[in-house]
Amino acid sequence: MSLAIELQDVSKAFAGQRVLENISLTIGQGEIVALLGASGGGKSTLLNLISGLLSADSGQITLQGLPARQFTGWQQIGYLFQEDRLLPWRTVEQNVHFGLENSALSAAERQRRVSDALALVGLASFARHWPHQLSGGMRSRVALARSLVAEPQVLLMDEPFSRLDPHTRSSMHNELLRIQQLTGMTIVLVTHDVEEAVVLADRVVVLKPHPGRIHLQAPLHLPRPRIATTPVVNEQIRLLRLEV
Amino acid sequence: MKHFSHVLSVIAQRLILLAIFLVIWWQAAQHLPPFVLPGPAATWQALIRLWHSGTLVQDVGITFSRVLSGFLLAAVIGTLAGLLLGASQRLAHFCEPLLAVFNTVSSAIWAIFAIIWFGISDATTIFVVFMTAMPLILTNVWQGAQNVDAQFVELARSFRMSRWQTLRKIYLPTILPYFFSGARLAFGFGWRVSLVAETLGSSDGIGYRLRQAGDLVQTSQVFAWTLLLISLMLLLEGGVLKPLERHLFRWKKRS
Repeated sequence: MSLAIELQDVSKAFAGQRVLENISLTIGQGEIVALLGASGGGKSTLLNLISGLLSADSGQITLQGLPARQFTGWQQIGYLFQEDRLLPWRTVEQNVHFGLENSALSAAERQRRVSDALALVGLASFARHWPHQLSGGMRSRVALARSLVAEPQVLLMDEPFSRLDPHTRSSMHNELLRIQQLTGMTIVLVTHDVEEAVVLADRVVVLKPHPGRIHLQAPLHLPRPRIATTPVVNEQIRLLRLEV
Repeated sequence: MKHFSHVLSVIAQRLILLAIFLVIWWQAAQHLPPFVLPGPAATWQALIRLWHSGTLVQDVGITFSRVLSGFLLAAVIGTLAGLLLGASQRLAHFCEPLLAVFNTVSSAIWAIFAIIWFGISDATTIFVVFMTAMPLILTNVWQGAQNVDAQFVELARSFRMSRWQTLRKIYLPTILPYFFSGARLAFGFGWRVSLVAETLGSSDGIGYRLRQAGDLVQTSQVFAWTLLLISLMLLLEGGVLKPLERHLFRWKKRS
């Protein structure tokens, strides 16, 4: 398995406050990794460092074999925020198109990709709707399609489903796993929900706060689909909860 | 069906209001000399005379082109300045008193200055319209620029968009509703002050004709002009601005 992301002794401080200290982490191609921890643990900061939205104070970040400073393939890294952040003045279709507007693709190719991404999340028939006409779950799907439309090899997610009701959230989990199976992309997911981490991830990284550091890494070998109410999955959730 | 009957009821109400107004006007005119208050019939005749005079279209056109020139100038400069203030907090803080001063100076004062500086010319009216409309547009655009959602800017950044792209795709669509309400206000004000400016510093246009009619105590003609202007503004509002607004902001939730 080749490495998608590698962090070596990465530290970050905001206004003298140490947020992350000596984080070392490797993430393989096609792996689903959950960063789990209480709020204030620097999970989102870690994600922002990987995405290049923030730069590290010290340490080395390597993306697909290249140091972050030399890395140019940012198009291959998608970012899904906690909020859906759909632009209200754009239709569903135009919102998804936003994810391609910084690429050199032809108009026809963009249109094709937008249709494909909408079909992938099951919203092909809502292409012309306005965001305010959609439910929370549908808005989440549009945001997901906007991240997927550029066909990223790495998808970074910052508690993307935390605002959805439990039922919609679990259907989004299945959706995400199905799409990951199809594309083989690497997923790094930030969450404070142990159940979400166990249901989705190949490996869970538990972070402890003040300053943010890696407490433990737990590979999960449970078969999929993982249903939170089955005994094995439930036991895993219970064990991890003790560590958080 | 419900919608249809609602529209009918609104039309009926408007017609009744118009009828009441005409009756009161007509009754009042019966008891007053025509140079104080001409009746509806006299006003109608004056309107027809105006229509046949030949300079009507020309006068309306001239005034309209002056208002439009001043307004467009105000829109361009007001928008750019508003964006600039929105981009730099320090500059905005520095310039804020200036804006307060602009907003308190009466249009009549600008008109007097305009006559001193530009004499009897198109520039006088354009200047007054500009000075009235510009601060309104500037203030609104500035306010819009301050209301740009930081989350959307971050979203654009996550897609590695340039400053220019962010300006075009995030800032401008956010500011557009603010600009539109400012521009609408500015156009209304500009239109009204243009007449004041024309009565003082012009030798043609609607304002000039109004003063002429006033000086000669042709009250019915003043009434005719007033009626004409009101219908023109209503037409512009209902025929251009309202539909344009509905199209531009069709993405907004109807409440």
